[in-house]
Amino acid sequence: MELLEDAQLNKHVLSTGCEGIDLLLQGGLRMGQLTELVGASSSGKTQVCLLATSNVAKKHMDGVVYLDTGNSFSPQRVIDFIRQNPDPAIDQAKHRILQKVMNRILCHSVFDIFTMFDVLHQLEVNLRSQMQKGDCQVRLLIVDSISSLVTPILGGGGSQGHALMTSAGFLLKKLAHEHNLVVLVTNHTVGGEGGISKPALGESWKSIPHVRLRLSHDQGSSIYNVSVLKHPSMASGKAARFTIYD
Amino acid sequence: MEVGRLPISASQRGKLISAGYTTLSSLSSLSPSDLALGAQTAWDMLHEDEMFPRITTSCLDLDNVLGGGINCKEVTEIGGVPGIGKTQLGIQLAVNVQIPVDYGGLGAKAIYIDTEGSFMVERVLQIAEACIEDMTECNGLLRKDFQAGQLKMHPNNILENIFYFRVCSYTEQIALTNYLDKFISEHKDVKVVIVDSVTFHFRQDFDDMALRTRLLSGIALKLMKLAKEHGLAVVLLNQVTTKYIEGSFQLTLALGDSWSHSCTNRVILYWNGNERYAYIDKSPSLRSASAPYSVTSKGIRNSASNCKRIRMM
Repeated sequence: MELLEDAQLNKHVLSTGCEGIDLLLQGGLRMGQLTELVGASSSGKTQVCLLATSNVAKKHMDGVVYLDTGNSFSPQRVIDFIRQNPDPAIDQAKHRILQKVMNRILCHSVFDIFTMFDVLHQLEVNLRSQMQKGDCQVRLLIVDSISSLVTPILGGGGSQGHALMTSAGFLLKKLAHEHNLVVLVTNHTVGGEGGISKPALGESWKSIPHVRLRLSHDQGSSIYNVSVLKHPSMASGKAARFTIYD
Repeated sequence: MEVGRLPISASQRGKLISAGYTTLSSLSSLSPSDLALGAQTAWDMLHEDEMFPRITTSCLDLDNVLGGGINCKEVTEIGGVPGIGKTQLGIQLAVNVQIPVDYGGLGAKAIYIDTEGSFMVERVLQIAEACIEDMTECNGLLRKDFQAGQLKMHPNNILENIFYFRVCSYTEQIALTNYLDKFISEHKDVKVVIVDSVTFHFRQDFDDMALRTRLLSGIALKLMKLAKEHGLAVVLLNQVTTKYIEGSFQLTLALGDSWSHSCTNRVILYWNGNERYAYIDKSPSLRSASAPYSVTSKGIRNSASNCKRIRMM
């Protein structure tokens, strides 16, 4: 009963800024859930993350924490997305408002899994103390990409890699649930049997995210395909297309 | 209450104390962003980007699609068939990073890691001389009020500023990647690291593919960290291989799917008829486009064909 109340009161849906994805997800990314974006290289994962970042900072006016493992966070691209839907109210005090919006986005560069744990623990402490203040609340946590942090330690006869990967997943889900965050992670693909690519990180990771979306991109066009691999309240296999403009 | 008594992990306590917060009252008035040690807001990052000029490739079309040139703080992978000009581009970048700040360059040094043995010193000398010639010409055209001979660079200076490492096995390559952090801390004016090619030692007879994936992703993270912490550009040259996709064999870059995620930007060099083209395959902020370029005795230059167009994809 308490969970239902919690879900209704606190766990709202956050629009990604992209109509196609929002429609597929029945509104957008849900707070309290870990959503994974899987795709081959250059399939739009980082672009969706940057789009969601700009949307949360601008429209929802909430804080974003972006953990970047591949130096792919592009402030210029975020500004492009912010400027895409011009708001007449914004045009007047443009520069100052842009600064406010950009200041809500915090980017950490992490290059190994232990640094990521440090950053997440620190974020946990910050979020607990933040609950008293009415200041800018962090609503979106992105790890782009979690697979590059896990791949160097996964396999090789030891189980430490798997243990770290699973505890990272649990920590992210815990943060999502306790602080009503949307947590978005990206994962890459590897070759599977018969030449069909499959998500990286293996079988143990499969059950960790709440929602798994598969992205692909038709080369040479700006149309992207997204399909649902796993969702708690939707059939898998549903697909949609969306466009990301330059 | 003392920070030392707080129920937090030792590393966090250490960080707080070293940042000067010793009592709880000093912490209570801060906002989370103040405490985010090691993080930056997007606004700060935007303005920092303006302080890092890009490294020109000496080909205007190519620079245009790259948004000005090769970007610092990012790892750029450049791949193509043999003979397309990867090593030439690598050498051109090692020379161009040394262009003085007055001429729009970085005035910095380069590290060239050679795994294949394709680094020809005579060619570097040739490209260096051509670069200096171009700069002197520019000097003569634009700065008529400056005295001639203002440019005091000599091709030997350019050769001196390229640190060359020859690597003969994959263990050496990994050891060198680990060592680079210390080396660059001692030579802070290095602004580009070129690895030619990153593939070579990982292709021949690597039995354990899982080990290869782990090693390569470890190297990728270390290079990313190097690029970010020291504010330099990392350029990785890669070879091509054939892959069986959707019923046919296609040319793709070597080292597999996992490696394709280990770079910030990817540029693919290919032949189109008799012309060399470069295509931006992956980038967080550049749109996909291709540009023609040519390899001349002076190095990488604009394509000489009449209908030069940048095709937007």
